[in-house]
Amino acid sequence: MVEIRIHGRGGQGGVTLAKIVATSRFLQGQSVQAFGLYAAERSGAPLQAFCRYDDAAIANRNLIYAPDHVVVLDPTLVGPGVASGLKPGGWILINTPEPPETFAEQFPHNRLATVDATSIARDNRLGTRSVPIVNTALAGAVGALLGIALQEIRAALEHLGFRGGNETAAGQAYERVRRAEALQRPPRGVTEATGSEAASSPFVATGRGPSFLEGAGGGLPGIRTGEWATQQPKRQQYVPPCNHVCPAGNDVQGFLHALARDDADEALAILLRTTPFPATCGRVCPAPCMDSCNRIELDGAVNVRQLERFAGDRGRAEVAVSRARPECVAVVGSGPAGLSAAYQLARLGYPVTVHEAGPQIGGLLRTGIPRFRLPEDVLDREVGRVLGLGVRMVTDHPIDRAGLLELSREFDAVLVATGLQELRGLRLGVGNSEAVEQGIDFLDRSHRDEVRVDGEDVVVVGGGNTAMDAARSALRLGANSVRVVYRRTRREMPAIREEIDEALEEGIPIDFLTQPVLLRPGGSGNGAPRSYRLTCRRMELGAPDASGRRRPVEVQDSDFEISCHRLILALGQSPDMSVFPEGTEVREGERLLGLLETPVFAVGDLATNEGTVAGAIGSGRRSALQIHAALNGEHLPITEHARARPDVEIRHDEVIRADAMRLHLFERQPVAEGAHVPPEVRRSTFDEIHMGLPDAGEAQRCLSCGVCNECDLCVTYCPEGVLKRVGHDLVFDSAYCKGCGVCVTECPRNVILMSHL
Amino acid sequence: MPADLVTGNHAAGYALSVAAEANRGARGAACGIYPITPQTEIVEYVASFPFTKTRVVPVESEHSAMGVSIGASLAGARAFTASSSNGIAYMVENIMVAGFYRLPIIMVAVNRTLGPPWNIWADQGDTLMLRDFPWIQFYCEDNQEVLDTTLLAFRLGEDRRILLPVLVAMDAFILSHTQMGTELPEQGVIDRYLPPLDLPHRMRHEDPTTLGGLVWPNVAMSLRLEIDEAMSRVPEVFEESRSAFIEGLGRDPGDAVQALFTEDAEKVLVVSGTIATTAREVVRRRRADGERIGLVKIKMFRPFPESAVREACRSARKVGVLDRNYAAGVGGIFWQELRSVFQGAGDGLLIQDYLTGVGGGDVTPAMIDDVLADLEARSEAERPVWMGMGSPAGAG
Repeated sequence: MVEIRIHGRGGQGGVTLAKIVATSRFLQGQSVQAFGLYAAERSGAPLQAFCRYDDAAIANRNLIYAPDHVVVLDPTLVGPGVASGLKPGGWILINTPEPPETFAEQFPHNRLATVDATSIARDNRLGTRSVPIVNTALAGAVGALLGIALQEIRAALEHLGFRGGNETAAGQAYERVRRAEALQRPPRGVTEATGSEAASSPFVATGRGPSFLEGAGGGLPGIRTGEWATQQPKRQQYVPPCNHVCPAGNDVQGFLHALARDDADEALAILLRTTPFPATCGRVCPAPCMDSCNRIELDGAVNVRQLERFAGDRGRAEVAVSRARPECVAVVGSGPAGLSAAYQLARLGYPVTVHEAGPQIGGLLRTGIPRFRLPEDVLDREVGRVLGLGVRMVTDHPIDRAGLLELSREFDAVLVATGLQELRGLRLGVGNSEAVEQGIDFLDRSHRDEVRVDGEDVVVVGGGNTAMDAARSALRLGANSVRVVYRRTRREMPAIREEIDEALEEGIPIDFLTQPVLLRPGGSGNGAPRSYRLTCRRMELGAPDASGRRRPVEVQDSDFEISCHRLILALGQSPDMSVFPEGTEVREGERLLGLLETPVFAVGDLATNEGTVAGAIGSGRRSALQIHAALNGEHLPITEHARARPDVEIRHDEVIRADAMRLHLFERQPVAEGAHVPPEVRRSTFDEIHMGLPDAGEAQRCLSCGVCNECDLCVTYCPEGVLKRVGHDLVFDSAYCKGCGVCVTECPRNVILMSHL
Repeated sequence: MPADLVTGNHAAGYALSVAAEANRGARGAACGIYPITPQTEIVEYVASFPFTKTRVVPVESEHSAMGVSIGASLAGARAFTASSSNGIAYMVENIMVAGFYRLPIIMVAVNRTLGPPWNIWADQGDTLMLRDFPWIQFYCEDNQEVLDTTLLAFRLGEDRRILLPVLVAMDAFILSHTQMGTELPEQGVIDRYLPPLDLPHRMRHEDPTTLGGLVWPNVAMSLRLEIDEAMSRVPEVFEESRSAFIEGLGRDPGDAVQALFTEDAEKVLVVSGTIATTAREVVRRRRADGERIGLVKIKMFRPFPESAVREACRSARKVGVLDRNYAAGVGGIFWQELRSVFQGAGDGLLIQDYLTGVGGGDVTPAMIDDVLADLEARSEAERPVWMGMGSPAGAG
């Protein structure tokens, strides 16, 4: 009788190898057995299989303790156990590219053979690249060593349905197996196994074992399920896309989480860490957070803008202020960038003085945004939040180049936040016609009740928010008609999508792909406003320009005329650099040189040209932190991931995208849009047109992407009950967690991952 | 007859499937199935068999598996299932029901240690706990015997003189997961061996009634007697079924009691299951050395073949019983049966129990030699000897 023991790992096919060898003998009329030694194995655990064959009928129902030969499927299993009970002189066949002599010292009493069955299996595409199935190749090698003809091995493979690459692999291993037949040391008179191996087998009792009743230290060892685990969960956290893209640096996910608990005060407190203007941004922000919201893939973005307004309007929160510091800081400009910087500096304890050229505080928030989008009382309240921290305001105080030098001597640091003061014009073949006006100026005059356009036909040129605001203001100031001309298409318009929709609803048409080229006086009479003829040219979109948008190109012979009384230009602005010394390069976060020892920074649109309130707020805050670092050497974190808890072991810098979320675990819910004043009513009034959300329920649509929001589905579904919520922490009991991974698959927001132990 | 290298589970699955298929000309077949280690491959085999007229119903528990088979059998279908260990324990209520309903349901059981603590290896405690139910029980020692006995069980249980369920047991892993050369009879052969089932008391939808409602004690006792009479006919019908098997398949599925060298044996070992194979080799070796030793393998445990066992032990002075099972407070269950067989049979017969391989241990030739050394030295029977546990001669 020949008895063979096979060492492999669960899933490698050791039992099948035993069956192949047995089948090759069975088909030759021999009596055979093939079996595995089964226990609670899982994939990858060491496992043994056996095969025995004989000419005579096998009358043996026992395990094999003293095999004639051994086969090792996985070279990592080579160790003393391989030779356990092995008869001296028997073959040890190892799957490895090493020569057999490598193992001579380790196994001195045995014949050795090796074959690179893994490469052979890969060459023949058996199994996968990571888990090649090596058993059919090794069957060929076993045949070569034990005098089983190759065609008999192949007959067994065919009988078992293993064809193609398997038969080739068996043949290759049959040829390539390398042998070292000479024994390193002759066995010292040992020719038969002693049976001692049987004595150490768990299948053979040799005396009393542990008691069921005695506890630890003598009784049956109690098993904690954690001992089975090969992997256990860890908490991880990603950056939600809304937080990632917020120009102000707000913890969007954090304040939504608070609102979802109906805690507007906490939501406001979270927002006030990064912005003094939540009620303002909640009305005028283009909300890139909503464009990046993963919920778009499910049923539409969370209405973050209106929820921020809700928190800003309804929340009550004190602003925390640090102890007073001696260094004084000057801020030039009281727009959102300047006030954001002043606010953050004041919170850090610095005495701050803001110098404003105009008579009122707020910059473009005050003069450039019409009241129907941002009511004055809302702005006053938020400006008051900054002033309430003790920030000193000096109005009607323009700062020129000499004034800046003065400030740099007087203060320990200076921030320049003068925004974009240079307005872009358009050559229309007329001089300073009183019919042509800049949108910013028009809005400012409107704000001061210094303009009416009763009965006029108004044309607004541009595609940004200023264009929309000017057009809609003109409508409210008595215009007979208002139309917008824009040289690109709707897709390229920088204005907030909602504001474009609202303008269209109010009856303002937009001529896309249209460029004004010539303005000529038309007729007038009987006291009516003077009429003009505006020649426009059709455009088409060409290749993308530096902004990434497709450049408009003129269409030949496409000119047409529009009659109008007033032309408002809203073509964008650029910074006025005259305040700085000649040749100064302005970049956010870089201290401007050449101005004594004092740190001078440029912030907001002046430095970034971003053109949004949120961008200005973010720039102001970042610059305030840089001033603080320059003055006190303390580097505070720029980002706010306020809820990264100590039990979160892995914090990814990466943004979590929708495909990493388990969206199928969420129910679809319609977006809460909030109510508008109907277009026919609002056309004639500067009252606010959006009435806001009635409650914060919309916040519950937040998926809390990549951030645990304590939904506790993991706790509910943990089959072992080893996951607990302790306070805000999630506690895994590693002694009992068996590593099943149910918590991972049940987590809707991917904040748990399995980690190999 | 085609032969192949198959596991005990495969052999059992094959036998159940071809037997079910053989009833396709009558009312077909059905089974409820539920997997449990080490029986799972049986239900996998059955579930994938291309039946003509058999319904395989996967259910949520062993209790329901037997429930489905009971329902199918009551409707006149050929019915069967398979289970093991704690699965059988959970099935017990319906196992009993099948017997009292006189339904010829065939169950293949893979003998596995009852837990806790958890253990998947061979021990007969799971099926022997059914010993007082109206079930015929067989224990097998190789895969061919599993296959043959399962086929025979249908013919025996469905016989009008019997109408009792039959259990066919094999040792976990030693048979269930070990590949052995096995002859697999073709369907046509089985079609001829197993007559179509015509259950006399089957339920008929054209005349709906309830079977098994309340009966008075006088009727209940009478029904028990009816079962006892059926049980008493089993040896005779078994022999007929066995003869027909030999005739139809050209192979002996094995006698209910298989005696070797017992004519003049002074010592006799009584064994069952796979231990029989190992013990037979030991006995043959010692016989060759001139020792007057014999072997009795008990294949049929219920009804217990009293007279055949008594006959086989006629010349013995000492009987050693090897039990791979343990009845709490008693000892080995086969030993218990042997003692009752020889109760009052006269003085001078020593019947000693040896608990071997309880909990799935490997019963090696060396251990059986230890048993025989103890039996040789012993002058009177004592409490069961736990082999390998360090008790007197059983230091294994």
